[in-house]
Amino acid sequence: MSEPVLRVSCLEKRYSDVGPAAIADVTFDVFGGELLAVVGRSGGGKTTLLRLLCGLTPPTTGSVHLDGRLVSSPPREAAIVFQDYSRSLFPWLNVGSNVMFPLRREREPHSEKHARVEAVLAEVGLEGVGKKYPWQLSGGMQQRVAIARALVSRPEILLLDEPFASVDALTRAELQDLVLRLHELQEHGVTILHVTHDIDEAVYLADRVLVLSGTPGRIVASVDVGLPRPRKQTETRSSSRFLALRNELHGLIAAPEPVQSTPASR
Amino acid sequence: MKTSAARRLVGPALGVLVFVAVTGIWQLWAGAEDSFLVPTASEVAKRAWDVWPTSDFLSEVGQSMKRYAAGFAIAAAIGIALGLLVGASHAARRTLDPFLECLRAVPAIAIVPAAILILGLGDASRIAVIAFGLCFPILVNTAEGVRGIPLEVRDTASMLHVGRVERASRIYLPAALPSIMAGLRIAVSLGLVLVIVSEFVGEQNGIGYYLIIQQSKFDYPALYAGILFLGLLGYLLNRLFLLVERRVLAWHYRAAGE
Repeated sequence: MSEPVLRVSCLEKRYSDVGPAAIADVTFDVFGGELLAVVGRSGGGKTTLLRLLCGLTPPTTGSVHLDGRLVSSPPREAAIVFQDYSRSLFPWLNVGSNVMFPLRREREPHSEKHARVEAVLAEVGLEGVGKKYPWQLSGGMQQRVAIARALVSRPEILLLDEPFASVDALTRAELQDLVLRLHELQEHGVTILHVTHDIDEAVYLADRVLVLSGTPGRIVASVDVGLPRPRKQTETRSSSRFLALRNELHGLIAAPEPVQSTPASR
Repeated sequence: MKTSAARRLVGPALGVLVFVAVTGIWQLWAGAEDSFLVPTASEVAKRAWDVWPTSDFLSEVGQSMKRYAAGFAIAAAIGIALGLLVGASHAARRTLDPFLECLRAVPAIAIVPAAILILGLGDASRIAVIAFGLCFPILVNTAEGVRGIPLEVRDTASMLHVGRVERASRIYLPAALPSIMAGLRIAVSLGLVLVIVSEFVGEQNGIGYYLIIQQSKFDYPALYAGILFLGLLGYLLNRLFLLVERRVLAWHYRAAGE
């Protein structure tokens, strides 16, 4: 296999000297073009892990390398989408300006930037809403705007922090399919690391699922999904392999002993 | 339908009723008192009608408004800049807070004699008093607004490599704008207080000076006409500010579903 895009080694984060660390001994690789999911309970260190990966918080020990370079501050090659779209979008800017914001320092003509913004908005299914303000859109559409803003600078890796936890079930399914579509784009399919507490979502989307569990949070299992692509909400979710995988993952999260190999993984 | 329409009329009608009642009581009481110290409402109204449009009176108003505007602008510039700094940086906050807290406790009126001593009996000392007094509500509200910016906004700024200066001007300033406008609104009313008080001492013009002169000339109807004018002026400044605020914060009010 090729060199990993993201290499995480022996990562540990302590917020205080007393008590357990938030996460400990976290080691994994993410390969180019992969869609990797990390599942774990709420409060289990998922957000801590993501903040360490994108350089927003320094680790206590261990390291993160992106494209072979040590991550010590937010790298240009990474973009993140937060759970709370209503807070992460800038409410004083319209949708077009929000999505254009990451391009503000790029030295290309405004018309070209504008075209890039329109293209990425179309990619996430939001043609012609550039002039609207975030609050004029539904929650699902706002999260699409946040995804467009993350993608507009063509990052190598897209980090998603529980991105669909605040939308209704139908919208969630649509957004999941959007993530699948973005990942499978022929020319610039993006590497995605998707953090969620939703086991079904992790199995439905990912090539591989890491289970973050225990106190401090550790990676207790890595499960290859191996479901055929393209995936379909009804077909994929009713396949026997999908059901076996979700049961296995439920078991792993419930009983967090380190498991090396598992029956359902290949 | 009928009841809701009726209800919508009751509020304003009550307001007018109270206004008329108070003016009526004043008129009757002052009439019964029959003292030159308490002019009746009709005397004051008549005097106001005569005095307000005169160029003498309007030039006093102009002098006061000039000082008010200058003091307000200086206070807004310093208050917002320092507020952004104190709100954004823990180090700046720790360093400046003890100093600012002490300074803030000083009533602005108390610095009038010192301001005259240092800056003389001109516009500069009046403007300094106004700027000093207005600076703090703006500063405190700005800093509060910056501290209340959600973590997601800060993290987004970090992920998008927004530098310090750009962060202050393009992220913190708009994000804290609702709070900044609240501070400016306090300053709109407080500024009128300070401009009048600062003109009470050793000034040759302005509305504050006008009031003092009418008092010493025993022209009490003109004194009350001046006070009445200030009430009206304060009300209009407030309405004007609200209009500006509605425009500047349109995105905020609509996002909040108002």
